[in-house]
Amino acid sequence: MSSSKPNDNIGQASRRNMITCRGVKKWFGDFQALKGVDLDVGEQEVVVVLGPSGSGKSTLIRCINRLEVHQEGIIEVDGVELTNDLRNIEKIRSEVGMVFQLFNLFPHLSVLDNITLGPIWVRKKARVEAETTAMELLERVGIPEQAAKFPGQLSGGQQQRVAIARALAMEPKIMLFDEPTSALDPEMIAEVLDVMRDLARRGMTMVIVTHEMGFAREVADRLVFMEAGEIVEVGTTDQFFSAPREERTKKFLSQIL
Amino acid sequence: MTTVINTNSGGQKSWLKWIRDNLFSSISGTIQTFAFAALVVVVLRWILGLAFAEENDWTSVATNMRLMVSYNYPLNQFIRIWVAGGVLLVCAGVSLGAWRFDPALTVKRMARTLYSVAVVTALCALLMPTSAPEVLVGALWLASVVLLAAGFAASAVASKRNNPPVSFGMLLTSVAVGFLVVLWVVPFGDYGVVGGSPFANPGATVARSTKEPWTVILTLVVLGFWVSRGLGAKAVAIVRSGLLAFWLVGPAFLIFVVLRDPAFDWQRVWAVDVPLAAGFAFGGGSLVYLLAKPTRSSLARLVGVALSAFATLNWVAGFFGWYGMLQKVRISILLLAVLVLILPAFAGSQSKRLRIATAWGGVILILHWLITAINTPSTLVISAPPFLGGFTLTLAISYYVVLASFPLGVLLALARTSNLPLFRVMSTAYIEVFRGVPLITILFLFTVMLPLFLPRGMAVSDLAAVFAGYSIFSAAYLAENVRGGLQSVRQGQYEAANALGLTVFQRTLLIVLPQGLRVSIPNLVGQGIATLKETSLIAIIGGFDLLRIANSTIPNQPQFLGQKRPALLFVAMVYFVLAYTMSKSSQRLERRLDAGRM
Repeated sequence: MSSSKPNDNIGQASRRNMITCRGVKKWFGDFQALKGVDLDVGEQEVVVVLGPSGSGKSTLIRCINRLEVHQEGIIEVDGVELTNDLRNIEKIRSEVGMVFQLFNLFPHLSVLDNITLGPIWVRKKARVEAETTAMELLERVGIPEQAAKFPGQLSGGQQQRVAIARALAMEPKIMLFDEPTSALDPEMIAEVLDVMRDLARRGMTMVIVTHEMGFAREVADRLVFMEAGEIVEVGTTDQFFSAPREERTKKFLSQIL
Repeated sequence: MTTVINTNSGGQKSWLKWIRDNLFSSISGTIQTFAFAALVVVVLRWILGLAFAEENDWTSVATNMRLMVSYNYPLNQFIRIWVAGGVLLVCAGVSLGAWRFDPALTVKRMARTLYSVAVVTALCALLMPTSAPEVLVGALWLASVVLLAAGFAASAVASKRNNPPVSFGMLLTSVAVGFLVVLWVVPFGDYGVVGGSPFANPGATVARSTKEPWTVILTLVVLGFWVSRGLGAKAVAIVRSGLLAFWLVGPAFLIFVVLRDPAFDWQRVWAVDVPLAAGFAFGGGSLVYLLAKPTRSSLARLVGVALSAFATLNWVAGFFGWYGMLQKVRISILLLAVLVLILPAFAGSQSKRLRIATAWGGVILILHWLITAINTPSTLVISAPPFLGGFTLTLAISYYVVLASFPLGVLLALARTSNLPLFRVMSTAYIEVFRGVPLITILFLFTVMLPLFLPRGMAVSDLAAVFAGYSIFSAAYLAENVRGGLQSVRQGQYEAANALGLTVFQRTLLIVLPQGLRVSIPNLVGQGIATLKETSLIAIIGGFDLLRIANSTIPNQPQFLGQKRPALLFVAMVYFVLAYTMSKSSQRLERRLDAGRM
């Protein structure tokens, strides 16, 4: 699938832009975490963001659904600009699914209730309908038998798969993954990556922050390399790994590959 | 499931081994054991000496039992007290059954409990002062022997049948039967007051007017437990929601209708009260039903703001006397405004909208009925003014203070942790002011000063003022306890809720509060226990609660002049039993909520 997608860079005309970032700047106190980031993500595109820790990759994707507030620049999601208008933000958040490094499942709710919460309270669906969808999603991530359990009774990999199902239950247009496998034991990483791979195959628009290079190479349409709050290099997968243009990218790749 | 101290079959040897391992394992351990044993003996001896000293007359307690339960409640209407208490107990029994109450009890654990009670009883008999009645000492020895025998029997069953579990239903039934048998058989003596003059009948069993109601009530409690226990899943869900409603408004119903017996002016009720209630229930219900449609969220917000403005105007107008309005109309409009404001969060399918509208109608009908009942004079002819007193007052005040201060405390805690500076400052000021003022000051202020600040034509009884003062005070402490729980909710939970697109209100209601409150359960129950005990301060501002009766009413009766000690010890015991029960059930609740969830 990924090879069939056009290999182009910023500002592609062929498909609709789902996410547009222009000159995004963000400070935490005196520390500048984002120093003017430009990024476009097209419909059905899978973008993987790489970079050393502290480079601002997590901050960037947290800005996209406004878990962090950027101070300068423009972020548009599906044609709607992120402003302080509360209802606008809730609308965008319900269109953008997010998967966290530490899962952040709701420990007081069963797996099923975790997944149906958003559809029932935000999408205003009937409970029966929401539960049917939730069971289908659990089937898809491979753990339908865990529906009645509580998150504390599941393994890390299972929890992360529930978290993905929870995000998918909202029928999002975009999925953001913030280091989804970093808190997992090695033997559980594969099961989560399988689910993500399946998502990419079905044409979901995804922005993924990860350290899994093999996975990035396999599913990404484009790779973004960030360092010190800036995007250093954007490239298609083949070009990025075989012929990086920037010195800093080469150094980073030589360290981790 | 059970404590794993001793898993083998429990013969003589392992018992000795347990003592050796746990009590005499080392020199310092042995010293500690002996020191502790000596301390227990000394303290027990001191308490028993205090309780059964020569000058104590325990008939003062027995004779005044009715006074301590209900103070001056008219004797010919006393059936109302039995009905109220009976309904409460039966509903408690049904609740235990409906929520499948079943502490993991085993025969072995019961045997252990029986042994320890037997030892304590024997110890008491041994350490009784010589001034104690011989019959009592004999009865204690007898009880000890019976308990010991029961313990042995239980042990034998446990080792023979591999320690079977004891169902709570069987335990409840046998305790009820045992209690009734004791009541009908053991000659506790019959003491009381008839027509102002006390009588004593030492050799008899307790009065029939005590035995018969208890027999009926306990039979119903046990029956209620078994019936609700046997219900299917669907029926039990209905029974549970009925019980929840009962525990919310049932006690108020018992106090204001059963105990107080309001003399309704039926003509006025049908002309004014019923149409008003029906109007608010159906009118408000239809409004809620229409506005709860997801597509009408903006309209709902608009209507909510308009209604809130109107409600505020009503209160201000009422305060300055611009125009008159029934208090319940003011309250109903305010409630409707709040509901419409938060409605967008609950908007949904047609059945959901219908449920919300029905719930609104139910709440309004109950509220209107309650306000009308409270404002109607009572039919009771009472010799001294307060119609509630004694244990009934203690129970009623503490129950409703806890019930009222809980939502208030949660709101304050939320305001204090909110991002909006105005809320934060107001809540902090409230909490610090009311925590900084002694409770007794607040009670005085409310009973003396509150009437001065009320709008024209509005009166408040002392009891209501005390209730308001207590609730406001207790809410400040509750707020701090809840805040501790709220702060333990991790940042990731907020982020996950935000990422789903939940509104702030939904996030608070569905994610933050359930997790935060669970953490604060021990503190909340602690605050509940404190409230129960602090109701004794009512004595100082003129109420006749349990403590006041024990401390000043009984010692002033001509036949029991100066008899303070027995009644005070009895009151202390009552408070202890209640507080200990609350503490135990909170531990159970914590364990139950914790099971596999965190």
